Amino acid sequence: MTDALVRLSADHPLLLWLLPLALLPLLASAQRATPVASIAAGPPDGLSRAVGVVVRLGGILALAGLILALSGPYRRGETLTRTGIGAQVSILIDRSGSMNETFAGRQPSGAEESKAAASRRLLAAFVGSRTHDQFAVTAFSTAPMLVVPMTDRHDAVRAAIAAIDRPGLDYTNIARGLAMGLSQFAAASPSTSRALLLVSDGAAVIDPRVQETLRAAFTRLRPNLYWLFLRTKGSPSISDRPQGEDTPQAAPERHLDLFFKSLRTPYRAFEAEGAEAVADAITQIERLERDPIPYTEQRPRRDLAGFAYGMALIGLLILVLAKLGEADLRRTGSSDAAPNRSLPVRLAA
Amino acid sequence: MRESRQPDIVYRPRGRPPGTRPGAHRGRESGGLGTFRDQVPFLRLPDARRIDVRATLRDPFEGTVVRRFEARTPIEVWALVDLSASMRFSGEADRGVLASDFCRGLAASATRIGDPFGLIGCDGAMREDVFLPASRARSQVAAVSRRLADAACTGDRADGFLAAARRLTGRPKMVFLVSDFRWPEPLIAEVFAALSLHDLVPVVLGDTAEAEGLPEWGLLELDDLEGAGRRVVFMRPALRRRWIAREAARAESLRRIATAHGRPPFRLAGRFDPDAVSRHLLGT
Repeated sequence: MTDALVRLSADHPLLLWLLPLALLPLLASAQRATPVASIAAGPPDGLSRAVGVVVRLGGILALAGLILALSGPYRRGETLTRTGIGAQVSILIDRSGSMNETFAGRQPSGAEESKAAASRRLLAAFVGSRTHDQFAVTAFSTAPMLVVPMTDRHDAVRAAIAAIDRPGLDYTNIARGLAMGLSQFAAASPSTSRALLLVSDGAAVIDPRVQETLRAAFTRLRPNLYWLFLRTKGSPSISDRPQGEDTPQAAPERHLDLFFKSLRTPYRAFEAEGAEAVADAITQIERLERDPIPYTEQRPRRDLAGFAYGMALIGLLILVLAKLGEADLRRTGSSDAAPNRSLPVRLAA
Repeated sequence: MRESRQPDIVYRPRGRPPGTRPGAHRGRESGGLGTFRDQVPFLRLPDARRIDVRATLRDPFEGTVVRRFEARTPIEVWALVDLSASMRFSGEADRGVLASDFCRGLAASATRIGDPFGLIGCDGAMREDVFLPASRARSQVAAVSRRLADAACTGDRADGFLAAARRLTGRPKMVFLVSDFRWPEPLIAEVFAALSLHDLVPVVLGDTAEAEGLPEWGLLELDDLEGAGRRVVFMRPALRRRWIAREAARAESLRRIATAHGRPPFRLAGRFDPDAVSRHLLGT
């Protein structure tokens, strides 16, 4: 309550010094006074007293409302921190040229959809299914691109995801993409549940020196890592050992998986070979990420002049009604007095 | 002129005023001229001019009988006028004008038949600027009208009537108490008791606007002329009925007090009608 009061402010606060004028109706009345010989002549009447108080309050309300309205009151905008159920999800999307192909490894034609289009469709449903999730979207190919920083504006996130089926280009530089994806996690409270969702259709060798940096970042932030591997039919799986030398260069997917497993953070890899498999994977991720998350809520500045004018209107209405209901002793008394009055006229005639 | 056309207020004092001066009312004393009263033996009233010859001859004891006549004596008429602020009330008629009309009419009627007329104005105290000693001069009418026109009604009490009552000592007089009697009831009783030696005629200045003329519906902001503040009244038929009943109760309690000390009050409302006053005075 006091917090709400603190946030009240006015455009012209100096006008508020006029507020004591609102007490004027206590001193003077707008009603026409009817002089009477004795005020005690009328019987005491509770309803009349109530009406008197209401009219007086109406005057105070009208004056106070007008002064308040003129001063331009408003409630300052604020940022509220609340706790909801959700997670901070950093989505890292591969934009390499191969994402433009279908799961069959061809250029899409007719009703076929590319890997990028499929992931776009399914991720868009993922975003916004829970109100308090926060998302960041990063794309990477040769260099990482920050698309949307961590935000709870799901419209922006959906727009970012809608853009990922633009034709991709170049190669897959997963190390820098991971670094940027991780950098999206703000140093929020430690209880926040974080998830890094990597969507890619391939992998690349991570330089051992960069590996150390990434390892440190993962240890610090401890995100849940999900790898949505969009496998093209026929290409090697994560777990496939290559026939030749087992080096990162020969089987980058397998070694990236091994690297992730060595991070000592919760990690799951989903290998999807079609749109349905992607949908299943996303449903699983959604189910796993259910933790309390502090989120911020923006409350915009709110103009309160309308309320003040409304208040003044109520007061003025009361005053106008009282004025319209005004009666006059002398005028209304004439109906009874009329025969008496005509007498002197006749005498004078 | 209005005064010449206006009929006189005809009044008859209660009882027989003492005094030897010739006047217009049946006196307590017997005198030479006037209405026949009784016959007394010559030795009791040795006035040879009034010997009743027929009664003397008829008397078997051969006594001499003298006729006695009622002396007609004047009586002092006083108007005690309330000059408190409530007399500024103006509804159907202006209360001050009404009081002034009444006093002028009374002064004219009294002085025309040779009764001295005096005027005392009272509010919180006796108002010396509105005091006229009793006089039979016909110029009294103009003086009364001047005094009352100049008098400012500002007081918020009516205790001056008690002082006025102390000034009205001596022979019984006719005292007209002109006020709206919006006083505390104990004061009314006290003033009436103080004046009960005289032939006391309360003249209540009323106004239909204060009771029957009230509106059925409406919002009134009453402003007390005597400075008792303001009050908003939401008039409606139920409240109007209660109001009129309250006014009637007030009039009844005034009538009760007044009747205990003399005559019932005369209600002067709307317009001053001398004939109505006469009828009231002769009927009570």
